Amino acid sequence: MASQVMRLSEAPQGKQLRIVDIVGGHGLRRRLMALGFHKDDLIERNSDALFGGPILIKNLNCDTSVALGRGVAQKILVEVLDGQA
Amino acid sequence: MARHEGPVIVFIGQPNSGKSTLFNAIAGPKAQTANFPGTTVSHTHSEVYFNGRVLRIVDLPGTYSLNPADPAEKAALVHLFKEAPDLIVNVVDASLLSRSLELTLELLETEQPMLLALNMVDLAEKKGIKIDREKLEVILGIPVVMTVANRGRGVKELLSRCVENLKNGSSPRAPSWTEEVEQVVDSLAKDIPENFCLVANRRFTAIKLIEAGDTFCHEILEEISQPLKKRVEETRHRLESLRHLPAYEVLAAERHHLAMKIFEAVAKVQRGRKVSAEEKLDSLLMHPILGYPLLLVIFFLFFFLIFFIGSPLEQLLLLPWTWLQSWVRGLSLSPLFLTLIDGLLQGLGGGIAIVLPYFLPLLFLMAFLEDLGYLARAGFLLDSLMHRIGLHGKSVAPFVLGFGCNVPAVVSTRILESPRDRFLTSLLIPFIPCSARTTVILALIAFFLGPWWAMGFYFFQLLIVALVGRLLTFFIREPSPGLMLEIPSLKWPSPKIILSKVSYQLRSFVQFAWPILIAGSLVLSLLQLAGVDVWINRALTPLVKGILGLPETLGVTLVFGFLRKELSLLMLLQALGVDYAQLPEVLSRTQLVVFTAFISLFIPCLSTVAIIWREISRKAALFSMLLNLVVATLVASLVRLIL
Repeated sequence: MASQVMRLSEAPQGKQLRIVDIVGGHGLRRRLMALGFHKDDLIERNSDALFGGPILIKNLNCDTSVALGRGVAQKILVEVLDGQA
Repeated sequence: MARHEGPVIVFIGQPNSGKSTLFNAIAGPKAQTANFPGTTVSHTHSEVYFNGRVLRIVDLPGTYSLNPADPAEKAALVHLFKEAPDLIVNVVDASLLSRSLELTLELLETEQPMLLALNMVDLAEKKGIKIDREKLEVILGIPVVMTVANRGRGVKELLSRCVENLKNGSSPRAPSWTEEVEQVVDSLAKDIPENFCLVANRRFTAIKLIEAGDTFCHEILEEISQPLKKRVEETRHRLESLRHLPAYEVLAAERHHLAMKIFEAVAKVQRGRKVSAEEKLDSLLMHPILGYPLLLVIFFLFFFLIFFIGSPLEQLLLLPWTWLQSWVRGLSLSPLFLTLIDGLLQGLGGGIAIVLPYFLPLLFLMAFLEDLGYLARAGFLLDSLMHRIGLHGKSVAPFVLGFGCNVPAVVSTRILESPRDRFLTSLLIPFIPCSARTTVILALIAFFLGPWWAMGFYFFQLLIVALVGRLLTFFIREPSPGLMLEIPSLKWPSPKIILSKVSYQLRSFVQFAWPILIAGSLVLSLLQLAGVDVWINRALTPLVKGILGLPETLGVTLVFGFLRKELSLLMLLQALGVDYAQLPEVLSRTQLVVFTAFISLFIPCLSTVAIIWREISRKAALFSMLLNLVVATLVASLVRLIL
């Protein structure tokens, strides 16, 4: 079913992803949680800004979009869901 | 505070949930609104008369939770507890209900009288979310009112439910969590000593003590007694061993699960609906490749539209004014009287005929882009560019506001978490061509040299912002925190709100800027009559003539540009003693560009300096003045060399 765990910054675009863990410090985890990102949430990487800019993440659970810097995206671990649920 | 009568109602909610729009719908346009999270950075008060009662309404900055991260969020929280409101109105974006409920649950923990405004229900329905209002009322135990603030729907009902609630004064009960967590929290609540200064209630205080890490209650935690401190530590450990998560995450997870449960109970989400027009437009605007040319196109359109509306309007409006002026000059009046009338006409006429034709369309387009939600998208696209100048995309918000006016832009740097970013951003803001300077650019460069020149000039200014930013970060090195910016969904702006926004800004322009323009022109006339201007000009000759290569008589206009940038434009004509149309006869193309470049870059206008002084520091304000003066001189002399 679920495939290997990777960083969100390396995850493919347009596929359903599941948040496995957030490995940042407390400040980052708190902030992401407040923005509605939790462990086990389903998300999708929608767009990338050019030149190493931020990536656009849509949280499919609560239907919010958030722009995340690459540094932040590196600290979110996800896995690709194969079957489109 | 004590002088005022009437109950206090505070609006609190997550960023971009429409608190300020709702506030404006009730109190008239007072608070700044935009489809961008964090537009409100400080609170706005208003007194409203409703059914013969006075209600004091407070609009607070948005906050994602009651554990604040940036200065604006902290302000919201401090206010919530200091003001001791009689009623809390929790404004919620209905299209984001499941996430927003987490703050609602947190607010319920305070057990203060509360009401839920379910805002943007139209957007939620468009997204296929149908909410059962009655059921939500029962579950939360507070009144729920559906509103569409930007159309003014539900506002009356909200107010009457507020009044009703104030009358019967019922308070909600805090939602309860999983039993094992509840037990741990409860036992700490019981152990809080009698003399301890409680926030809201015992349980809420206990929760905040557990959650406080490096945020909010840090100072309070430092002050509490040693035994209680130990009890708090112990409680955290118990929670941590319960769920194998940091203590605050255990509590956050409790709220999250509760919120999800409530959402599932009250909302029906229709799946497989067709993609809305806004969403299609959005995916185009945010496209990794197409997004950039579109950004440019929007920028061009913005510029050309203002020019093509403004320039014919200007020519039309100038006609009667020039006629009036020459008629007055032909009259045989005493020199003093003539000077005064001439100055008055210059100031008044310049304000109407030269400034307004560009200023007005600019306000309309800015309001449109703001309410559409394009600003957050521009921030996303330009983030890497911002990184090059050492800032992240969150600074885009203050920057974009800066194109309207630098003053609110500096205030809005409060949404930035790190002091370094605030300092840097507010040093850079004065380099952004605000609407006053855009007007000067359009009236001088576009009008006389053509729109492409003005466009180029504009780009050139942006390049300078980037270069100065790069230079500053070279000296102030410190890692900037990563970007985490919510991108709100696109919303089709309501014409009514745009109109009220524009008229509000126009009113403040007439109230504050116009008197300065008129007074400035009058003073210059008098100076000229008394011959004092010659002295000022002579003192400035080395700069004006030596470095910039401009006519000596322009020295005095530069001095007055400190008050308002448009004033320099009006004074330019006055100092040279020519009509607007005759300007190219006395100034060469290069001189026009040099003058405009210097005017728009040299020391920020008085209000900007004052706001930097107040918001950041005196040092920052003085440094900003110096920096701008140096950059303006360098750039203007460079322009002179190249052209």
